[in-house]
Amino acid sequence: MEYVSPEGLRLDGRRPMEMRQIRAEIGSVSKADGSAIFEMGNTKVIAAVYGPREVQNRSQQISDRALVRCEYSMANFSTGDRMRKPKGDRRSTEISLVIRQTMEACILTHLMPRSQIDIYVQVLQADGGTRSACINAATLALADAGIPMRDLVTSCSAGYLNSTPLLDLNYVEDSAGGPDVTVGILPKLDKVTLLQMDSKLPIDILENVMQLATEGCKAIANYIREILLENTKQLEYRRGS
Amino acid sequence: MREIQLQLNQTQKLRLQKVLETLQSQSSIPNSDSSVTISDSISVNHEDGVLKGHGTTDHNGDVVATLCGIVERVNKLVYVRTLRSRYKPEDGDIVIRRVVEVAQKCWRLDINCSQNAYLMLSAMNMPDGVQRRRTAVDELNMRRIFEEGDVICAEVRRSQHDDIHLQARSQKYGKLNAGQLLTVAPYLVKRQKQHFHHLEKFDVDLILGCNGFVWVGEHVEARDVMVEDPVNLSDPQVLIPNENSVSLEEQDKNYTALETRNYICRAANAVRVLSTLGFTITLESIKEVIDLSISANLDIHDMFGCEFCVLVAEKEAERRSSSKRKR
Amino acid sequence: MEQRLANCVQLTVNEKQFIENALLSELRVDGRGPLEYRKLSIKFGKDDGSAEVQLGETRVMSFVSAQLVQPYKDRPNEGTLSIFTEFSPMADPSFEPGRPGESAVELGRIIDRGLRESRAIDTESLCILSAKLVWAIRIDIHILDNAGNLVDAANIAALASLLTFRRPECSLGGEDGQQVVVHPPEVREPLPLILHHLPVAVTFGFFSNENLVVLDPTYHEEAVMTGRMTATLNANGDVCAIQKPGEQGIFQHIIMHCLKLAHVKAGDITAKIKDAVEKHNNERALQKIKRRSSSVSVDVCGTTARLGGKQNQSGGGKDNSHLDQLKPKDEANFMECDATSSGQVQINKKDEGSKNFTGGPSSWYGKKDPYSECVNSDLLKAPMDSEC
Repeated sequence: MEYVSPEGLRLDGRRPMEMRQIRAEIGSVSKADGSAIFEMGNTKVIAAVYGPREVQNRSQQISDRALVRCEYSMANFSTGDRMRKPKGDRRSTEISLVIRQTMEACILTHLMPRSQIDIYVQVLQADGGTRSACINAATLALADAGIPMRDLVTSCSAGYLNSTPLLDLNYVEDSAGGPDVTVGILPKLDKVTLLQMDSKLPIDILENVMQLATEGCKAIANYIREILLENTKQLEYRRGS
Repeated sequence: MREIQLQLNQTQKLRLQKVLETLQSQSSIPNSDSSVTISDSISVNHEDGVLKGHGTTDHNGDVVATLCGIVERVNKLVYVRTLRSRYKPEDGDIVIRRVVEVAQKCWRLDINCSQNAYLMLSAMNMPDGVQRRRTAVDELNMRRIFEEGDVICAEVRRSQHDDIHLQARSQKYGKLNAGQLLTVAPYLVKRQKQHFHHLEKFDVDLILGCNGFVWVGEHVEARDVMVEDPVNLSDPQVLIPNENSVSLEEQDKNYTALETRNYICRAANAVRVLSTLGFTITLESIKEVIDLSISANLDIHDMFGCEFCVLVAEKEAERRSSSKRKR
Repeated sequence: MEQRLANCVQLTVNEKQFIENALLSELRVDGRGPLEYRKLSIKFGKDDGSAEVQLGETRVMSFVSAQLVQPYKDRPNEGTLSIFTEFSPMADPSFEPGRPGESAVELGRIIDRGLRESRAIDTESLCILSAKLVWAIRIDIHILDNAGNLVDAANIAALASLLTFRRPECSLGGEDGQQVVVHPPEVREPLPLILHHLPVAVTFGFFSNENLVVLDPTYHEEAVMTGRMTATLNANGDVCAIQKPGEQGIFQHIIMHCLKLAHVKAGDITAKIKDAVEKHNNERALQKIKRRSSSVSVDVCGTTARLGGKQNQSGGGKDNSHLDQLKPKDEANFMECDATSSGQVQINKKDEGSKNFTGGPSSWYGKKDPYSECVNSDLLKAPMDSEC
């Protein structure tokens, strides 16, 4: 199948190096300490953060840092075929683990000993790149909850189809079976924290695709930073002196 | 962006926007670069010996924020003040919350902080108001004083990095009865000299807990009675309420007039409106909202209407600008 | 969650510091250099498709089995591949019994992605009847001993077992050509799976000091390290999967450097796996020959009949004829014998004993033989002695 037309346009009319429209909203769950909705095109993810709070299960308490937990789930209505998915299947267990470890890398857990931070992410609409969207939403929610972090983490995916590196794959491109690289970076430190890759790709091409995904992450980081800054200002203005 | 969650019509939207603009112009933030997000560098003008406070870290010699908030500078200290976050206890804060556990010699309270707080039995006045050693009998009777689920008010005695200890060494602290507990974001409550307020006009007590819980309840005078006249009530049996048989006298004491209840609700709604708009919650602002609602002849349940919210916002902007002019 | 915590708690502070400080001078606790692999040994089981890999102290066993199932609707022409991991508390006290934990799931997913997404196995050749019947390949991975770097060991075990696995041949028959006939292994030689390439997982460990990178981390290093990356590559230098699940951030150029290193290592490991498999296949082929020759020798030497006569005087000749009938068939038919008469079974045992004797010291003895357990060694020895 042709994923990039001769004119250099993708199935949804984007250029190969173009990202889908991103939109973020802070404060969508009123009870949570921090929450956010993050959209990348038709992919929509909601995240809520509770904590730092008292550890619920005493035996899990860590004396020198906070315990971070994460639960990823996919709403039944998020995909085209609506069916009941068993809770805790292998894919979501793995993604929960990946999100948890990615966020743990940037949270300054040693500042909150013997407490617990819960991150809940749910996919409301799935159209490729849910993993990246979840990480971006979780970052926003953590920042909103006022949890100290080393750096923001942002994530973006890239693929390689029709010998063209493509940024931010949607569902059709994702399920084409081509290589799919998900990258998560710490933009300020310029380090890669998350890297997942599927399918077959020679090393030098992988480098290009990874570079492209990293650029995407940086663009998202700029957007997230703007949103957070605007949010902080608004809150401060309204609060008054 | 954390929007104000209201269903506004077009004119209301415009009015609210205008208010927000005026608020922005009056804001005390000197310039835009004092608000930072995570991983922004904070300019320190190459000063030597800058002390890095909360919410900052060092990255290749730069001071970098680890939180979203406002940069505050006190002499050489630079720190970031967060807006939305959990409550961070400071000594002497007045907190309100629920008892979650009756443990040995102490109660554990969930005060919306990263840890539960302890209220030691020895750190509170006994109901009889007598200063004495706590005996084993007292320990057994702890549940008669506070039970799980009771809302109590106390003061932070010591908040070291891990354990948070509370005290309730005055009769004004203790169990709260006949009223409402409201939850607001902790950053909306400012630390002030006075957190216990009595709205004489309405016979309503207002306690602004620093941890983001606001108590609106019936005015209680009885608390002072105990201090004034400890001899009469020195027998603990009299004071400890017996769960099963509530005496007529006590029922009478617990009775709250309907009018007072209405005022409690009105005050509570005033706090809620301020909280949705994200304005600081102080005695003055609450009073103002209550007055505004009465003068507008609004029913209590109409206070959440968009029109009223916009009205409150406009009033607040006016108040702030006038107070600024005075200065 | 608990697994991770349990791992961390076991190391003391000075042990951690020692490991890190030693690494600064390019030394590891077990004396290897930072980019050296531990000793790898691959053993194969008696059955096709089972392998045991030992990487240092880590031991992982893998077993492949196949089953005929209906294919998925969206892929009617493709066989399926599934991977199951078993982390038993026997291997490591921090593993919990029961449901697979997070690390078990992650390990399974890494291997699964490496094999499936890179299309290492030709799944289309596993199809028998489109949309009706395909082979479902199942890989069971058991951790026998955890001494660090389970992913690599498990991946090598999975590859080795896949390479030695044989599935029975199938053909379509019947009047409409829709009848599936599964040929037993005795009739037609079972077929190996078609593997296009071998994706080999190579795991790196990163430490809080950014310049430290180790290959193939041990159990203790795993407890100290703050980041991990598993790259799955084949010998051609194609990256088949990468898993770096969060944790410590790393510069991109270090990652690329690691991938290049992994390429070299993947080549080494592929060679080792192929060597081991080839050796195993040769041995297997030899055994085949021996088995055939020995079964012929039964006829020739004729000891069976005599021995049978001694033991079971009444029906010696009858048994002999019965044996003749049995000869072209194989072990499966022994079952029938078991059901018919115990006397015959005994003769069969004798037969086997003599086979063993005539066939010389062959290692196949007892292999693939359901009766090997119940062969009484005394009974076997008796006829041998009499021969001598």
